[in-house]
Amino acid sequence: MSEHDNTIAGLDDVLSNEQESPSTTPSPTTRRLRYRSPAMFATYLRRELRRRLRQAILVAAGLAAGIGLVVTVIAASDGVQQAQGRVLHSLYGIGTDITVTKAPGTPTQKGSGFDEGSDPQHVDVLSIGYVDLLDASSVDSIARLKGVAAAAGGLTLTDTKLTVPSAAQVGANGEPPRSAFPTTFTVDGVDLDHLGLGPFANATISSGSTFRHKDATANVAIVDSNYAAAHKLRVGSAIIAAKTEFHVIGLVDQTGAGAANVYIPLRRAQALSQYAGSKNLDGKVNVIYVSATNADNIAAVKAEIAKLAPTATVSTASSLASQVSGSLASAASLANDLGKWLAIAVLIAAFVLASLLTLSAVSRRVREFGTLKAMGWRSRRIVAQVMGESLVTGVLGAVIGVGLGFGGARIIDLVAPHLTATVAQNPGSAPPQNISINGGGLHKEVAPGSLHTVAIVLHAPVTLSAVALAVLLALAGALIAGGLGGWRAGRMRPAASLASVG
Amino acid sequence: MYTLTQVNKHYVKGRTTVAAVTNLDLHIADGEWLAVQGRTGAGKSTLLQLLGALDRPTSGTVMFGDQDLGQLSEAELTRVRAASIGFVFQTFNLIPTLSAAENVETALAPLEMATSERRSRAAAALQSVGLTDRARHLPSELSGGQQQRVGIARALVKQPRVLLADEPTGNLDEDTRDDIVELLEQLWIERGLTLVLITHDTSLADRAQRVATMREGNLAVRAGGGRTD
Repeated sequence: MSEHDNTIAGLDDVLSNEQESPSTTPSPTTRRLRYRSPAMFATYLRRELRRRLRQAILVAAGLAAGIGLVVTVIAASDGVQQAQGRVLHSLYGIGTDITVTKAPGTPTQKGSGFDEGSDPQHVDVLSIGYVDLLDASSVDSIARLKGVAAAAGGLTLTDTKLTVPSAAQVGANGEPPRSAFPTTFTVDGVDLDHLGLGPFANATISSGSTFRHKDATANVAIVDSNYAAAHKLRVGSAIIAAKTEFHVIGLVDQTGAGAANVYIPLRRAQALSQYAGSKNLDGKVNVIYVSATNADNIAAVKAEIAKLAPTATVSTASSLASQVSGSLASAASLANDLGKWLAIAVLIAAFVLASLLTLSAVSRRVREFGTLKAMGWRSRRIVAQVMGESLVTGVLGAVIGVGLGFGGARIIDLVAPHLTATVAQNPGSAPPQNISINGGGLHKEVAPGSLHTVAIVLHAPVTLSAVALAVLLALAGALIAGGLGGWRAGRMRPAASLASVG
Repeated sequence: MYTLTQVNKHYVKGRTTVAAVTNLDLHIADGEWLAVQGRTGAGKSTLLQLLGALDRPTSGTVMFGDQDLGQLSEAELTRVRAASIGFVFQTFNLIPTLSAAENVETALAPLEMATSERRSRAAAALQSVGLTDRARHLPSELSGGQQQRVGIARALVKQPRVLLADEPTGNLDEDTRDDIVELLEQLWIERGLTLVLITHDTSLADRAQRVATMREGNLAVRAGGGRTD
């Protein structure tokens, strides 16, 4: 072999080092050969996938089913979380991430009592429910905590009007006259420096104007439009609370469960309300609304507040979720338990299916890979080929799966019934307040501390992070399958590969 | 080209050790055509694997030029195969999803080469075996003889120093067999290849310069009828 034939034009250049060496002493290992043939990689991959089209479709469909379920379950779960957030926001306002309340100690008296006298007594009091009071200074302390964007105090109150009958009006059995039953409406004292926190944040002015800073000590009120319609109130009307006339400056539309009938400035609410013998509640609040700098800080801020006020009840959307009952809670457990495990099971099945089919395909290609190795293909090139085929299948599965996920989320949007969430209006409160006369007969439950049922429309949003996770899972599945197949193909010795086919 | 000295190759199958090649000494000259015959299980394929850098001897040395194949790493053996050795298989071993031209290109894939150059060389190789008009056909669209021609083009496209053929006519009819034998002989002459050909066909073996017959792992070599000039 002293001279190479040049029938194939230019081929001599390829192995020029060998031509320079004496023909009897070839030295093929003196030159490191590098692989550079992406076109061949792509052609081989495309043709191989086409040959195993049914198998590729089966693997992609399996992965797609798993990925579709994952996307759908994540969307449903996100939807439930958003619904829980809406429950909180409906109680405390859109901007509120955390609420701080204080549960009352053991009551020393049962409700507020009135003794009937010789004449009827006309009562009009602003009172708080069975929640304890917090110092308004706590608001500033909380506002200074790291991760807190703003904090505002509030007073959730009930105005109760009733006429305590005279002794003569009480019947023989101690039964009061009809006029003795109280009428109530709910009143919120609003911190005018933080109108974006608390239930008032959910209110939209429908007529008149909102509060201004100079209204802090003014007897002005903003009234819920439904309540106003029922009681023939409009902007410019007067409304009496705690025997004080408030000038209605605006009407608001609102839908949240935490909505009050009437909003007045916090300082006026503190000055006019009574509690356990106090003539006013100056410097006191019964709820603090907190917004965090971002959603990731909420847990840390909650922990800081709990350290600052160890006896207080600190509620967030997630802690509230545990108090939620009704169909929303059922949907949450459905998404978090059944959905999660179903998605995991289908994903595992898809991964196993993809791996088994890939291993089977590699086993059927022993001669093919052996031939390629005999021709000088390195193991890693063959591994890359197998991995590439798997990855393409995985990408196909991911694309179809994300499409299925969007479809699943859309189906949830279309067919999901309206859910309801039942939760205490004030999670820190005790059961409903009673008002009684002489401890007998006359009871009227009022709003604070009661349970509220909120109607929620479940919307399942497909987020970018869910899509990214789905794609990563599909690629991981493909890599596992391709890795196993490639590992098997790479371990084949070329001689054994050829020998095994006779 | 090749010098084998006291080569042994044993395989372990379960508790049994099979001696496929025993104390084998052989020299194959550069440009020589050696035919290897022997019964099934006599060690012919094992010898071919040792010569083709597909396997290492259990003991002894297999010198390929100045390289001891038994001492090379797996990566180095791969480079030897990629650059210097062409294989022709009895069952053709073409990739079923690739066209004739693409199958030929697979032999060039391990070499650093631009796609356009690889394609032009594959086309030239197919032309040299008379299959230009079948370049785009899949193996399933070719006859057995045409498939083997593609296999030969694939083996020779990288201009190897050695061509190792394992029963290249074993799956062909008589007429086609003669065509393939003539093609191999022509290429051997034109290119100065070292050709090692395993065959059961004595008439084919007799066309080689030397004929080695394997018996129980060892060789008896005699002169063949092939040209020696």
